[in-house]
Amino acid sequence: METNTSPYLLIFRETSPDVYKAMSPDERQRLLEKWNNWYDGLAAEGKVQHGHPLEPKVRIVSGTRGERVVDGPFAETTEVIGGYFLLTVSSFEEATEIAKNCPSLYLGLKVEVRAIAASCPELGVKGRPSAKDLSAA
Amino acid sequence: MEPDRSLESAEHSAQIPQVVEHFFRHETGRLHGALTRLLGPENLSLVEDVAQGALLQAMRAWSIGGIPPNPSAWITRVAMNQARDLLRHRQMSHSKETNIITHFEQTHSGASPAVDESHEIRDDALRLMFVCCHPQLSIDAQVVLALKVLCGFSSAEIARAFLSSEAAIDKQLTRTKQRIRESGIGFEIPEGAELNTRIDGVLAALYLLFNEGYKASHGESLLREELCREAIRLTSLLVGHPVGRTPRSHALLALMYLTAARFPSRLNEHGDLLRLHEQDRSKWDQTLIGCGLHQLVEAAQGSEVSEYHLQAGIAACHCTAADYGSTDWARILSHYDALNRIKPSPIVALNRAVAVGNVRGPQAGLDAIARIPQRDRLESHYLLHAVMGELHSQMNNHQAAAECFREALRLAQVGPEQLYLTRMLERSGDADFPPLAARVRASKALN
Repeated sequence: METNTSPYLLIFRETSPDVYKAMSPDERQRLLEKWNNWYDGLAAEGKVQHGHPLEPKVRIVSGTRGERVVDGPFAETTEVIGGYFLLTVSSFEEATEIAKNCPSLYLGLKVEVRAIAASCPELGVKGRPSAKDLSAA
Repeated sequence: MEPDRSLESAEHSAQIPQVVEHFFRHETGRLHGALTRLLGPENLSLVEDVAQGALLQAMRAWSIGGIPPNPSAWITRVAMNQARDLLRHRQMSHSKETNIITHFEQTHSGASPAVDESHEIRDDALRLMFVCCHPQLSIDAQVVLALKVLCGFSSAEIARAFLSSEAAIDKQLTRTKQRIRESGIGFEIPEGAELNTRIDGVLAALYLLFNEGYKASHGESLLREELCREAIRLTSLLVGHPVGRTPRSHALLALMYLTAARFPSRLNEHGDLLRLHEQDRSKWDQTLIGCGLHQLVEAAQGSEVSEYHLQAGIAACHCTAADYGSTDWARILSHYDALNRIKPSPIVALNRAVAVGNVRGPQAGLDAIARIPQRDRLESHYLLHAVMGELHSQMNNHQAAAECFREALRLAQVGPEQLYLTRMLERSGDADFPPLAARVRASKALN
């Protein structure tokens, strides 16, 4: 692996539950195939480490002592994070260009691009679980 | 949930599971069967909601996480969990539905999954077919419901195939489901004397579904071929079940295979409709012809000769002829004669007249058309005029042929049919029409 690459997160924010609901099974499958082709292409180029969907069930803990626990998400009003890809690419720009190819953009989905700070190409800082451990969990 | 993309799966991307074509759509039909067994046909909308929810969740999770090793089981589990949650929630507000959830829990607590699972799926599919094709529902309503519930088409897709609006299709579906509730239609495989007539009802709906796809009179051609494929899939399901394995079920399936085999040659590269003798027979799908002939053999067991037997027999004559000239028209005519006896209709009589024209010459064909009972019912059908035009042009009556083709063109509804008729008009030397050919093609390009 090249040493001048660093990890970036693509965070997928769903904003249009009604659009997805209105799709026919065939249309959904075509979209699914686009996503998988997109991912497989990135994986073949060694630009993506892994990707995970997130369960829709959300709990938000707040309050100074964590006393407020609210169930979410509120799909109608809030952007729901559907999942993420962990990229290993050479620049913020490259990660952004990859994000532009996300197949669900036309449906209103938003992709947030974030660099993972203070890290080495092998991911993570000493004392934190590695991506591999996370995915095995 | 299990779908994820670990480092390993990224490194072995070749092994990432794929799903087959139309997996989601067919999975919808399967889920509807399983969920209707639990919730009952009276809760069909609920059944659809739950299946939709499960598929939606699958699409989202698998888009990002990849497809799990057993996608079908994944979706089923999600759907069953959603059904359970939903029923628990409902139980709190409607205590009368307690029996449903009790039934549900009994069916699913500690159920051993592997036991007879494939039989259960097969039975559920057949039961749902009997619900959709119930004689209490009008035949049109049956076809639309079957497309929605058994085949997993969206209302928008059904509307596109039938040149209708999504709202109109939804309205019809709502009415149909209401009728199912009010009539107390059960989720069962009919028995005894009822079974035969109920199978006939299913066959009639499947025949209509296929026909909707086959006749190119309106809608998107790609979608329409899908209707034919679905009709074949459902008829195969029926034939694959001991209860549905009747000679006429085999005959209908034979007819569908033998007709679908000729699809690849129906249109030329411009999308123009080609007549049988213009078609490139090397494009005919020999695998489908083989399937059709096999079904025809199966259909011949027993003494029954149904309308499907005769129509399949006619299709087989075309499919097995090496070229148009060697078509066994005498045999085709005898099939049409028999068909005209057991199921007379102006359309059958018109097709019979084509066979007559081929056996005894174009004038005999025109005479046969003149003798069609209730011919007035055909007057508004472009096909009557197209056939007459063809017979006239065989006799070199170019002016009469042109008049017929012009009338046919006026009545035809869809691009390929109009193009074909315009071409025929040009051939019969009508000077008024060449610009229209360009016009029709241009308007088609715009669509």
